Amino acid sequence: MANLVIENVKKRYGQTEILKGINISIEAGEFLILVGPSGCGKSTLMNSIAGLEDVSEGRILIDDDDVTYSSPKDRDIAMVFQSYALYPNMTVAENISFGLEMRKVPKDEREAEVQRVADMLQIGHLLKRKPAQLSGGQRQRVAMGRALARRPKMYLFDEPLSNLDAKLRVEMRTEIKKLHQKLGTTIVYVTHDQIEAMTLADRIAVMKDGEVQQLGTPQEIYDNPTNLFVAGFMGSPAMNFVPAKVVEQNGAFALELQASKPTIVPFSDQESLKPYLGKEILLGLRPEMITEPQPHKEGAAFVVTADIDVEVTEPMGADTMVLTRISEAEVNCRCNPVYPTKAGETIAMMLDTSKAVAFDKDTGERIDQ
Amino acid sequence: MNKNAANAGSGATQAGRPARLSLADWIPKIVMAPTVVAAVVCIYGYMIWTAVLSFTNSRMLPSYKFVGLEQYERLFMNDRWIVALTNLGVFGGLFILICLFLGVMLAIFLDQKIRAEGAIRTIYLYPMAISFIVTGTAWKWLLNPTNGIEKMMIELGFEDFRFNWLSDPDMVVYCLVIAAVWQASGFVMALFLAGLRGVDGEMIKAAQLDGAGIITTYRRIILPSLKPVFFSALVILSHIAIKSFDLVAALTNGGPGYSSDLPANFMYAHAFTRSQIGLGAASAMVMLGCVLAILIPYLYSELRGERHE
Repeated sequence: MANLVIENVKKRYGQTEILKGINISIEAGEFLILVGPSGCGKSTLMNSIAGLEDVSEGRILIDDDDVTYSSPKDRDIAMVFQSYALYPNMTVAENISFGLEMRKVPKDEREAEVQRVADMLQIGHLLKRKPAQLSGGQRQRVAMGRALARRPKMYLFDEPLSNLDAKLRVEMRTEIKKLHQKLGTTIVYVTHDQIEAMTLADRIAVMKDGEVQQLGTPQEIYDNPTNLFVAGFMGSPAMNFVPAKVVEQNGAFALELQASKPTIVPFSDQESLKPYLGKEILLGLRPEMITEPQPHKEGAAFVVTADIDVEVTEPMGADTMVLTRISEAEVNCRCNPVYPTKAGETIAMMLDTSKAVAFDKDTGERIDQ
Repeated sequence: MNKNAANAGSGATQAGRPARLSLADWIPKIVMAPTVVAAVVCIYGYMIWTAVLSFTNSRMLPSYKFVGLEQYERLFMNDRWIVALTNLGVFGGLFILICLFLGVMLAIFLDQKIRAEGAIRTIYLYPMAISFIVTGTAWKWLLNPTNGIEKMMIELGFEDFRFNWLSDPDMVVYCLVIAAVWQASGFVMALFLAGLRGVDGEMIKAAQLDGAGIITTYRRIILPSLKPVFFSALVILSHIAIKSFDLVAALTNGGPGYSSDLPANFMYAHAFTRSQIGLGAASAMVMLGCVLAILIPYLYSELRGERHE
């Protein structure tokens, strides 16, 4: 168990700056996820933590030791790779014990450790096989076993689930979470899949263009994204961004939308709207904020019922996604499947703006708090 | 062309014109026919003919008086054949081992992301583009005691320097090894370089994190994963060794005496210049046996591998 501090880390390849000053600090035992679109520098950051790439500037501390210039093997970390990177010429048991062998652990201890790891991951029956004889999911387990065997201070996972099919991915995701709860070791995990990030992380660092856009718990990031990028990246289906005009109504600031008819919705953070009076902002609405009318919410603050034109409906079983258009923007709404929705019709929907967020239209930065 | 023919064939099927269909179907076969005929007659036909002749008493001209295994008995009683076989063992063994070692080392060094890699690769690979005759001639000059390396060293002031392997019956076979290694190790390098490029970079990173140094990484992880490349290189090199004829012809012409003969030179000498066709055919069959002994396990493992996939 170890804490991890990344201080102002920069990485340059010639003129191009891949990492532009990353600052992240996590406590021992935390599960940190680096998430972002491809090319955002998350894998470079991961490799820098592992010591596989040198940083151009800044410091990396593991367990309060400055490891910025230590070699990978001296950092006492283990890594699980996207391609699993198993040694093809070795059996599963040899793969798992190779790291121990390199650290001169006696043979009987190595065997005991392999057995322990195999039991933990239920791969005991595979120990004598070669990687080529394993399925994708089994290889994934072996790769994790190899990382577990050394009992390192910290685990790094580099998109470990990307090569698995959808069903297996969900299973392994749960497995990794269970493993983290059992071991309590610090984990840094890179993914481009925001659902993985939401489900696994204690804290998420959303990255874009070599910068951390936001670092926070999954719920913070979901509810309070700092800018348009984070808001749009996290959540599935994505947050809806609706252009809205700030107006004054009965002495309070409110937002005017164009649904089926012009609709005025209230907004919680009044102060923030003041400078934008008469101008347009972007209102961020999660799909679950636009639902069928729910009687128990009727009359509550920040709840407005409006008519919308249904363009497409997508039944998903638990919910039905209704695609509509508000102020020219495509908007996803999450409805109860029993509520009658049909393409081409105009139906009443309830907008709950109590947790809606507002962004500056030009900068994409968050306006309200 | 085959593809066009196939398309025309399917078009004809749809239009329901069986005459054109059969023509389209025949085109690939007609195109392939000369090659197949040439291969069957010139390779397998002559192979069988040689096998037949090896059981006859043919001397200057083929005769069909069968004498059983007499030619093989004579062959293995023949001192010159035994020298040729021993030479093949020494030459083949050293040639393969040194080529593999040098090729692997060159490939590893070239794979360290060095500058001008393309140019260096070409330089090392280039000898393979030269015929063994040229290699043999060039090395004959280099190794010649009176005007090659020995002369150069003496002129540089090393008066006692002796390098006369070419004229020493016990050492001449090593001259063959030197020239052949010079020619073929670049090719082995190219094979291994391709193999090394296919190694998963993440695997090397994993080994680094596991604490393996660079030598251990190569010895325990990268090279073992190149086993198929080793196998291909081994097969190619060993059949180069067994077939070697022109190198000996150009470099030593079998001499001094017949001390640097290889089986191919023995076969050529007896079948075509010494009017011993039967004996030559028998030696050719022994060489064929050697090649098959290497090739059959290789083909077996290759084909089984394919089925496995």
